Amino acid sequence: MSNTEAPFRISIPDDELESLKQKLALTRFPDELEDAGRDYGAPLADIQRLTNHWKDTYLSKWREHEAKLNEDFPQFTRDIEVDGFGTLNIHYVHKKSTVVDAVPLLFVHGWPGSFLEARKILPLLVEDSPEHPSFHVVVVSLPGYGFSEAPKKKGFGVPQYAEIGHKLMLALGYNEYVTQGGDWGSLITRKIAQVYGPKHSKAWHTNTPIGEAPHPTRRPWLLLSYLLFTLSPKEKAGLERTKWFQEKGIGYFKEQSTQPQTLGYSLADSPVGLLGWIYEKLVNWTDEYPWTDDEVLTWISIYWFSRAGPAASVRIYYEVSNQSPEGFARNIETPIPVGHSYFPKELAVLPRSWIKASNPTLVFESEHEGGGHFAAHERPEGLVSDLRKMFGKGGPAFGVVPGKTGYV
Amino acid sequence: MSQALSSEKPFQISISSFDLTLLRQKLELVRLAHEVDNAGWDYGVPLSEIKRLTAYWKDTFLPKWHEHEAKLNEDLGPQFTRDIEVDGGFGKINVHYVHRKSAVVDAVPLLFVHGWPGSVLEVKKILPLLVEESPDYPSFHVVAISLPGYGFSEAPQRKGFEAVQLAEVCNKLMLSLGYTEYVTQGGDVGSLVTRKIAQIYGPKHSKAWHTNSPIGEPPHPIKRPLLLLSHLLFSYSPSEKAGLERTMQFQKQGSGYFAQQSTQPQTLGYSLDDSPVGLLAWIYEKLVNWSDGYSWTDDEVLTWISVYWFSKSGPAASTRIYYELAQAYPEGIFSGVQTPIPVGHSYFPQDIFVVPRRWIRAANPTLVFESDHESGGHFAAHERPEELVSDLRKMFGKGGPCYGVVPGKTGYVVDVIKFGGRD
Repeated sequence: MSNTEAPFRISIPDDELESLKQKLALTRFPDELEDAGRDYGAPLADIQRLTNHWKDTYLSKWREHEAKLNEDFPQFTRDIEVDGFGTLNIHYVHKKSTVVDAVPLLFVHGWPGSFLEARKILPLLVEDSPEHPSFHVVVVSLPGYGFSEAPKKKGFGVPQYAEIGHKLMLALGYNEYVTQGGDWGSLITRKIAQVYGPKHSKAWHTNTPIGEAPHPTRRPWLLLSYLLFTLSPKEKAGLERTKWFQEKGIGYFKEQSTQPQTLGYSLADSPVGLLGWIYEKLVNWTDEYPWTDDEVLTWISIYWFSRAGPAASVRIYYEVSNQSPEGFARNIETPIPVGHSYFPKELAVLPRSWIKASNPTLVFESEHEGGGHFAAHERPEGLVSDLRKMFGKGGPAFGVVPGKTGYV
Repeated sequence: MSQALSSEKPFQISISSFDLTLLRQKLELVRLAHEVDNAGWDYGVPLSEIKRLTAYWKDTFLPKWHEHEAKLNEDLGPQFTRDIEVDGGFGKINVHYVHRKSAVVDAVPLLFVHGWPGSVLEVKKILPLLVEESPDYPSFHVVAISLPGYGFSEAPQRKGFEAVQLAEVCNKLMLSLGYTEYVTQGGDVGSLVTRKIAQIYGPKHSKAWHTNSPIGEPPHPIKRPLLLLSHLLFSYSPSEKAGLERTMQFQKQGSGYFAQQSTQPQTLGYSLDDSPVGLLAWIYEKLVNWSDGYSWTDDEVLTWISVYWFSKSGPAASTRIYYELAQAYPEGIFSGVQTPIPVGHSYFPQDIFVVPRRWIRAANPTLVFESDHESGGHFAAHERPEELVSDLRKMFGKGGPCYGVVPGKTGYVVDVIKFGGRD
């Protein structure tokens, strides 16, 4: 296999910074209803504050932010061939532990996430200690995200994203590995488990676990309202949260899975439009996480400056929805051990019995008192602690990668 | 009504040079999205269309804006604004409207109500036809309102401004113009509003209403229309089946905007107010997908988009009605359709919601007029102006089911000789 790996540093050209600055200076804001709060979407006061900070402060310090990103993330690119889709140049982070036999772990993000989500867990995962296992960590930028190329052809779905993740691990010399994923990363690492496990993928962990509802997935709500009587208070709260998401939080999903290009023109052309579209999720999908303005703007900048542009990132909804007319909760089983972390402010918080019924190889579960959808970013110690328990000595997936137990 | 108390002012569209300059600057900085190969219309508006329209907007349409503006003012004249007080703490809203009277003194007063992504522009082609005088058909005095949040009307500032409030504004506008009794025509949101006008202000003020977006409830609860539809597909005519397929297709592929606007309109609004190309794509997709092969010219499209871009309250305000309707009618907007006054329907096969005739009839017991068309889509007044006006003339004309429904305003010149020979 020819090695096209090249070191990569984020280095946004000056003209792109200038163009963004000019656009920000021309921002035209909508009005807002009195006392709208967050009911109608991202609040105007937040968006105005963030936009002004972006224009007046953050952007002029971009090279500092960029340098810090390059410091925190050792990055590379390489070409990966995808069956039927040609070669894509893929951007990824590869941080090895000093522990030679660390467990190779592939971390896969979702939308509106990116490789950035691994920022806090990276140093914890590679850390050397006799008390817990260490990991060699690979964080892939999915095609169409971060600094990876986007697919040019129609139909690039979950199997193709899985192929990218798997081939990347092989290319890096990790013939056997484990994975961690949330959001799309969960579907993708599940597919990796199904297609490349147990030969290559040995175990997988997700913070967005799901299970099939007893009724057809198109009609969860009738059923849920019946079940509301028979569930624990926590499970009821979880279903209420899930109901909120399905009823109030699903607009982006419907648009992105049907007319992503139409939406894409807004996301590519308007920094405040992109900011609003993503910031709403950063707030609504997390558990009162105290986002700093810099944190938000770095997150958005990865999208704004992405190699393929922000419009490319939403196409996955279209492709996967078209390929999965029966929904995403079918064919969940995998032939390898799986571990779950449950966070109460996740978007789909389903009764444990449903999840267990759909995941017969479930070997590890961890329940958290707080935290939401972006677990690696909101609760890095909690998530890493779960991975250490799952893969460490005495854990259900200890030594699952032969010869790479994670200890000196 | 005393003229001295009226806040009516004549109005002309006159976009400031500040607004024109800002738009030009934004168009010069456009950053276009990439596209997958051979996307066609599958993923949304094709890049080639957006590229062409954006370049044309910047290089040709915008530099000639004053010509387009003058033409708009001519086509929509005469225009006015006036303050309308809305009950329930919403205060005064300054409303923009077209008011064109027929030369026929006893013309039928008609209120035309647009929807989304429409505007008062939709009345442009039918206006001259409706006011036209002829012994062969009735004439109308036409009022075309810009709904609050659209065109050059102010937007509500408080939550909860839904169909009831829109109906109130419309009724008060007609009353303030001296039309105590009137008829209405509406499509899309305009259909919901004119239906609400019929229910609340009929038969005292609203005497009859016509819509080109007729609806009816499916026999099952509205939360399960699609399961039901697939069952019932056997028992309908070929054209009804085609209509149901089109409706299901729209629900599946074309209702993303609806879900977003009904739940998080402000989030979307940041894009629509800030990006002309984003606004263009968001609306143009509907102009094409909801019409029946209508040959939009670039000037037509950009004029349509401009009414949104330069609207008094900005494009974001126009989408909030979806949220308010979802809040006010959690069971959906397809129930409680009946009205106490006569209603007329025009059926266009390429509209976005085309359901079996028996559902529509069952839901509309006061249906007195129906007209089937071989072609045409959602924007009937714009796509099929002659046909729509022909339907209104049949419905309200001599021999029609709603002839003389507004007492003393039949739409015809009164033959003076018949009244005893006095001049």
